[in-house]
Amino acid sequence: MSDEPTPQVPSRRAFLKVAGTVAATTVAASTAGVVACTPSDSKGTGEAPAATGGARGTGFDRRTLDALGEVLLPASLGSARQKGAVDAFVAWVDEYAPVAEEMHGYGYADIRYLPPDPAPGWRAQLEGLDLLARRSRQRPFAELDAEGRRAVVTAALAPFGSAAIPDALGAPHVALALLAHWTNSPDAWDLALGAKVARDTCRQLQGVERKPLPLAGGDA
Amino acid sequence: MTTVGGDIVIIGSGITAANMAAHLAEHTTRSIVVIEAGPASTPFAERTAARKRFLAYGENPWARDHLEDQNAFGVTYGFSPNMHVGGLAMHWGGVTPRYSPEDFITNSLYGIGTDWPYTYEDLDPFYQEAEERMGIAGEQGPPAMDPRGKPYPLPPIPVNYNLQQLQLWATQAGIASWSCPSAKATVPYQGRAQCQRCDTCYPVCPSGAKYSPDFTWDALVKSKRVTLVTGTLVRRLVADAKTGRIVRATGNRTDASGEEVTIEGQTFVLAAGFIWSPHLLLLSRDAAHPNGLANRSGLVGKYLAGHRNIGGQISLPLELYPGLNAQHSLVSKQFQRASYPGGKYLRHDLRLWESSVGRGARLRDDKGNLLLGDALLADWKQRAKGATARVRAYYDVLPHRESKFVLDDTRKNRWGDPMPLVTFKDAPESEALRPWQEEELRNLFRRMAKAGGGEVISLASNANDIGQEHPTGGCRAGNDPTTSVVDGWGRAHDHENLWVGGAPTQPSASCCNGTLTFVAVGLRTASAIAKSV
Ligand SMILES: Cc1cc2nc3c(=O)[nH]c(=O)nc-3n(C[C@H](O)[C@H](O)[C@H](O)COP(=O)(O)OP(=O)(O)OC[C@H]3O[C@@H](n4cnc5c(N)ncnc54)[C@H](O)[C@@H]3O)c2cc1C
Ligand code: SF4
Repeated sequence: MSDEPTPQVPSRRAFLKVAGTVAATTVAASTAGVVACTPSDSKGTGEAPAATGGARGTGFDRRTLDALGEVLLPASLGSARQKGAVDAFVAWVDEYAPVAEEMHGYGYADIRYLPPDPAPGWRAQLEGLDLLARRSRQRPFAELDAEGRRAVVTAALAPFGSAAIPDALGAPHVALALLAHWTNSPDAWDLALGAKVARDTCRQLQGVERKPLPLAGGDA
Repeated sequence: MTTVGGDIVIIGSGITAANMAAHLAEHTTRSIVVIEAGPASTPFAERTAARKRFLAYGENPWARDHLEDQNAFGVTYGFSPNMHVGGLAMHWGGVTPRYSPEDFITNSLYGIGTDWPYTYEDLDPFYQEAEERMGIAGEQGPPAMDPRGKPYPLPPIPVNYNLQQLQLWATQAGIASWSCPSAKATVPYQGRAQCQRCDTCYPVCPSGAKYSPDFTWDALVKSKRVTLVTGTLVRRLVADAKTGRIVRATGNRTDASGEEVTIEGQTFVLAAGFIWSPHLLLLSRDAAHPNGLANRSGLVGKYLAGHRNIGGQISLPLELYPGLNAQHSLVSKQFQRASYPGGKYLRHDLRLWESSVGRGARLRDDKGNLLLGDALLADWKQRAKGATARVRAYYDVLPHRESKFVLDDTRKNRWGDPMPLVTFKDAPESEALRPWQEEELRNLFRRMAKAGGGEVISLASNANDIGQEHPTGGCRAGNDPTTSVVDGWGRAHDHENLWVGGAPTQPSASCCNGTLTFVAVGLRTASAIAKSV
């Protein structure tokens, strides 16, 4: 990456490359004529990437997921904001379009694609957390007290020794995915910085030279 | 088979072509037809949604921006297989510094490289025209470092709180810096909205504040001054064996029909970017031109140029708030205009950004303990304090004659045309200096860190190391037909009605972002075409 700051996007996974080596095989006998076009108006022929995503209903066990959110996310957020962060995560997973084309970077010329649907694996891990709680503590994960939940999560995350939180899409565990999704949000950054920066938000250019205001009403 | 045509045929619809077409539409009465291989991509109305999905998942906001079987291979740094209306500049960051006067005369000044067939002063009016057409916002730097004939058309992007802190630090380190010029409307301009700090200029601006070539095409198509033919790959230029004049171009529809298309015209302008322009010339070889068109010198596809960089992250005892307008930066051209009487050669730009590196949350503390909930937040708050600066210097790399591409018969498109296989190569003088140059840059960053009481977190050269950014070349300009492909105005030495616009004609690539210069060079060519038709 070179030209401009690295955008905050999931890292690229080149697991599926079909750069232009594949010769097209269907040269159909269409009579389509040469057309003049207006590139950027709403009648343009571009297909909105948004249209490729869709609510797939990934079917997480919300009770367990909410309980996991309570362990992972700061209690000082309050339960409504914790739940809001879990809602946002679920919506994000639901709207994911597996194997969509990645943004092209600077420095390579092959076309790269996003990962397949991570939801089934994450759903299984969530079930695994619950099973682990039932086996090791004889109760569903959601019914454990805070200490019990922490112990189960600590055991589940033991194989992941790195200090870095992975990109949400590439997270090898549902707990890491939820954590990554929240820590990458503008709200979480504001909390960490103690100021209203509102990263990724479109607003006025004016005022950008001022020091950001402290968070109203104190921080979490 | 379809036949299209006009008096002036422009091949390609990238940023260079768009601005050349606009100039020609205003300065001639000739009909203009533009042939673009790819389709139109994501319409303006859909860019907010596209941005959202880019932010959420890293999805490409540009639907159908490439052809599956048309790509270059080898080291293609700075090049993506991009074929749609507007070309690569639909994706660009919009950063638009000018080259410095030295770039045009390195041989006269330092005895290395090649002087361009025109000077910075000759290009200045076309720089200005490019800046006005694209609506460049900029701050005048110290004139000795940043000469220009007229003021920037738009006021600069304000230096945000973070950059103010970094500017003070740079001053302590003895470096003059200013707001980086950008093709971003700081006030409403030609129908474009004022910049709203959405901060996804690269890769997609939802507000239209960042200039993209489709805006120019929209206006030209609406005015009926230009016919834009999309989805049509030009595969051959056909030259008259005796006169060398281009008599027509031929190609095919890139949709499923693959239909043949003939393009007729009086004047042909190749504005297909640094790879595809020379590629088309090589593909168009015939009995009278066995090495390809415009290739008497044997230099078509050669002298591919670009620059490299050393970048770094520096931790500083300041208080920054990453995310204020992270895509904006400070620039310094102090080291672009350095003099080297009898010394070693190094010229580079310098850019400074806020950075969030090292300021993010983490899963485990230094002892490896898991951080959950409030413990994670408390740790993050500590880490978030302070400041990280991102620094980067593009440095000048002079190209080898054999910095080139060849037609690779093992990789062909659906019509059997061989694709380019690219190898960038430094000229011997650049290669010999490279270790010293890169260490000098690392030393500069170490000195800067020290001046601010900070520490270097990391220093690295760019990912592909050998790669060259903002690539140019392949049809170099010069006065001597035996050592260049086009003359100083971009006209092919061998074909009186064939012109090449922008990047491919540049003998070298300076040490800063190149696109403004590609457009300015293209406009200079357009002005010559307008006089000739
Ligand atoms: C992610 C990214 C960020 C960037 N940011 C910056 C930046 O901030 N500042 C900067 O200076 N530069 C930047 N660049 C580089 C910049 O985008 C390019 O230098 C510039 O767009 C090149 O323009 P061009 O007109 O020379 O060619 P292109 O954009 O390559 O346009 C050529 C057009 O010709 C068409 N074409 C090619 N061959 C044929 C054919 N045979 N028949 C028909 N059509 C054909 C192609 O489809 C294409 O549309 C960036 C690039 C990328 C990818
Ligand atoms: S900061 Fe936002 S509004 Fe301004 S040019 Fe960039 S993307 Fe467009």
